[in-house]
Amino acid sequence: MNISTKDYIYDELLPRVEKPGRYIGTEWNSIHKDTKEISIRFAFCFPDVYEVGMSHLGMKIIYHLLNHQKDVYCERVFAPWPDMETEMRKSDIKLFALESRDPIKDFDFVGFTLQYEMSYTNILNMLDLAGIPIKASQREKGQPFVVAGGPCAYNPEPLSDFVDFFILGEGEEVTLEVIDAYRRWKATDKSREEFLAMVAEIRGIYVPSLYKVSYNADGTIEEIASNNESVPKKVRKRVVKDLKNSYFPDKVIVPFIDIVHDRIMLEIFRGCTRGCRFCQAGMIYRPIRERTVEELVELADRLLESSGYEEISLSSLSTSDFSKLNELVEKLVSKYESKRVGLSLPSLRIDSFSMKLVQEVQKIRKSGLTFAPEAGSQRMRDVINKGVTEEDLVKSVEAAFITGYSNLKLYFMIGLPTEAMEDVQDIADLGYKVVDTYYSVPKEKRGKGVNITISVSSFVPKPFTPFQWEPQDSIETLKEKQRYLRGAIKNKKLTYNWHEPFVSYMEAIFARGDRRLGEVLYKAWQLGCKFDGWDQHFKFDTWMEAFKEAGLEPEFYAYRRRELDEVLPWDHIDVGVSKKYLRGEYKKALKGELTRDCRVVCTGCGINLLEEGGVCK
Amino acid sequence: MQIMQVDSKKNVLMRLKFTKGNEVKYISHLDLMRAFQRAIRRADIPIAYSSGFNPHQEISFGAPLSLGITSDAEYLDIKLREDMKPEAIIEELNDKLPAGIKLRAGTILNERAKSAMGLVTHSRYTVKVNVQGIELNQFREKLDEFMSLAEIKVMKKQPKKDFELKEIDIRPMIVSVGAVEAPDSGGSYFLQCLLLSGSKNNLKPELLVKAFADFSSWELTGVRINREEVYTEYQGQLLDLLQYAEKENQ
Repeated sequence: MNISTKDYIYDELLPRVEKPGRYIGTEWNSIHKDTKEISIRFAFCFPDVYEVGMSHLGMKIIYHLLNHQKDVYCERVFAPWPDMETEMRKSDIKLFALESRDPIKDFDFVGFTLQYEMSYTNILNMLDLAGIPIKASQREKGQPFVVAGGPCAYNPEPLSDFVDFFILGEGEEVTLEVIDAYRRWKATDKSREEFLAMVAEIRGIYVPSLYKVSYNADGTIEEIASNNESVPKKVRKRVVKDLKNSYFPDKVIVPFIDIVHDRIMLEIFRGCTRGCRFCQAGMIYRPIRERTVEELVELADRLLESSGYEEISLSSLSTSDFSKLNELVEKLVSKYESKRVGLSLPSLRIDSFSMKLVQEVQKIRKSGLTFAPEAGSQRMRDVINKGVTEEDLVKSVEAAFITGYSNLKLYFMIGLPTEAMEDVQDIADLGYKVVDTYYSVPKEKRGKGVNITISVSSFVPKPFTPFQWEPQDSIETLKEKQRYLRGAIKNKKLTYNWHEPFVSYMEAIFARGDRRLGEVLYKAWQLGCKFDGWDQHFKFDTWMEAFKEAGLEPEFYAYRRRELDEVLPWDHIDVGVSKKYLRGEYKKALKGELTRDCRVVCTGCGINLLEEGGVCK
Repeated sequence: MQIMQVDSKKNVLMRLKFTKGNEVKYISHLDLMRAFQRAIRRADIPIAYSSGFNPHQEISFGAPLSLGITSDAEYLDIKLREDMKPEAIIEELNDKLPAGIKLRAGTILNERAKSAMGLVTHSRYTVKVNVQGIELNQFREKLDEFMSLAEIKVMKKQPKKDFELKEIDIRPMIVSVGAVEAPDSGGSYFLQCLLLSGSKNNLKPELLVKAFADFSSWELTGVRINREEVYTEYQGQLLDLLQYAEKENQ
């Protein structure tokens, strides 16, 4: 029997795999175009499984933005789960795009979004599954350009062997400029190198092959230099100055199968002004740009109508900081209560948290409450510039208990700079205080059966933060702190959650890694590493073997304290926040001095100089 | 004493028949339910909600279908807050349903109508199989032999017992099986089978195919299963669920 590859995938392969719904590509609002009328094919790849990738807002925006272009067809690709990969390799099926089931090796662009470091091996694996040369230097004319963007692209170096070019910053405008350059290039018979030179001139585009890195004897970087004059010495990130007039899709794909965040994500603002010193997002997504309440209500309307979703999440880095949050919530609730559309608020700050608001939001559907004090002691919270106090927390949880909540989650980090065991002890103490607060609320007012979950993760120092020079706590130290906490949290009302520190160690290495790590990544992939973000697939020993084979020391990246004047692997990338500001914040951190929210007064981070005329309002 | 006037609008029960096409054959029962709920929202159908802490739409399905099987006859019962004609619901909802799901017919149910789920007793399936080098008469002979067995033992996974395997006899659940030649090419046949279905006794057609493959020692490839109709037994007759509803309404 002769059947087409597409039918073979659909009818023969899919019945053999777990959750075939991941690979069908005909979800509501997915875009299907006639390929005869298309001149540019774009594969938007999320290097993780469908349920994770489909929860990502950036993909939703870029997917519809590109498909809005008449001559462009953008399709989705996710990392096939290992059972699917096995079937594909057995039948020699190349990685295909979901919508058309066409192999992506024939596409013009293969774009990856970099959301977390532990997805990097999946990128190599997906390229291999696609039949595209893994190393950029081995790709030839007629093969796709591999492009990557997203938050991890701000330190693109560990991936520079594999990616032809990176898009730095918000993609709404620059992606279309790249497409435009491609249209012009395709009309000529110029080489791949000539196209890369063309895009290198677009602001926000980084072409790693046009830069040379030299090293000192001690392994640190001597210099990062561009190959020629026309290539910028420093690549500046892109921001969308005016959110109102920027593209935002009025529809989103509605998956059939259950995904991680199965709801409308209404992006209420970008950026954050708090300046928490551990937080990379708070630095790289600057400046702050809010949408108006009218815009948001209208957008919510269109998204609800086109999707049929029953829940909206007000998404941002710090939703309770939205200046018109009460007004927005009231409007949305009054408009959609009768239609039973639920609202959810992620990441509430404990100092600006209002129980009235939470009650309003939860009129339709109740969900859990999570608070993030981040650290146990006041000293520690001052070091990281969290700007909240124990009193804030006690007041907030008291209000929550009075409203009837009895299950709360508290989120902390261990391994923060200058942390001592007393600070770790304070995490446990804070947990006990929250339980005491529950019992201080009169019985008739509080809910039954208090349970406080204390969730603790290990701190990973990230580029473009004041802690970018800091060593990570060793695996041993982190384990000892975890053991200590386990011993200190001995109460039936408290649940203690933690993760093994090995993954955090790997994250620390790749977050602040340089180009040489490309070799490690390649070796690790060859040795079978993939889906490293998944406990059941993460192979720490294999990673260590890859380091050995590449002749590199992982400790050099994770445990070394950098000199303040050291050339950092990402020094040729400009995110707008200046190194001078980060240095100042680092020094203040070590003294435990606070920096104010820059909505109150400008703290001079440098972002306002990113664009002519300033970007802060 | 004054008697409070209860909401004058009455809820309306409706049964809808739909096809589950190739595009959605890998969508599970639960996911299909969610797809309908969202289509109902998109179409702004005046659906009734259950009362309680987390109200949900009042919709329910007939007999669930295994992953990978298409169907011409799936049934959905819904409760509406307002009176609407089935034709109007079908038109509005079809516009908002994902590719592969299409409503074909519907009827109003009376208040005391039994649920589609509870009614199902039989399902009729067409199974397309390919066997290299076997003629139709050979195929039919083998099938007759198979059907003349006193019992047909197969191993069945038990989802409620950790997918532990259990040996069961499926012969009593096969009402009839016949074979005809499929039009496209040699060696392809349609198995037409009527099987017990529903909450009491339920035979999944893929289990029958497996049993026949084991019995014949033939390699059956290109297996495609389609559910043709779902029935309820009523006074010795098999009625499809819409016919039954009309009977109930008389």
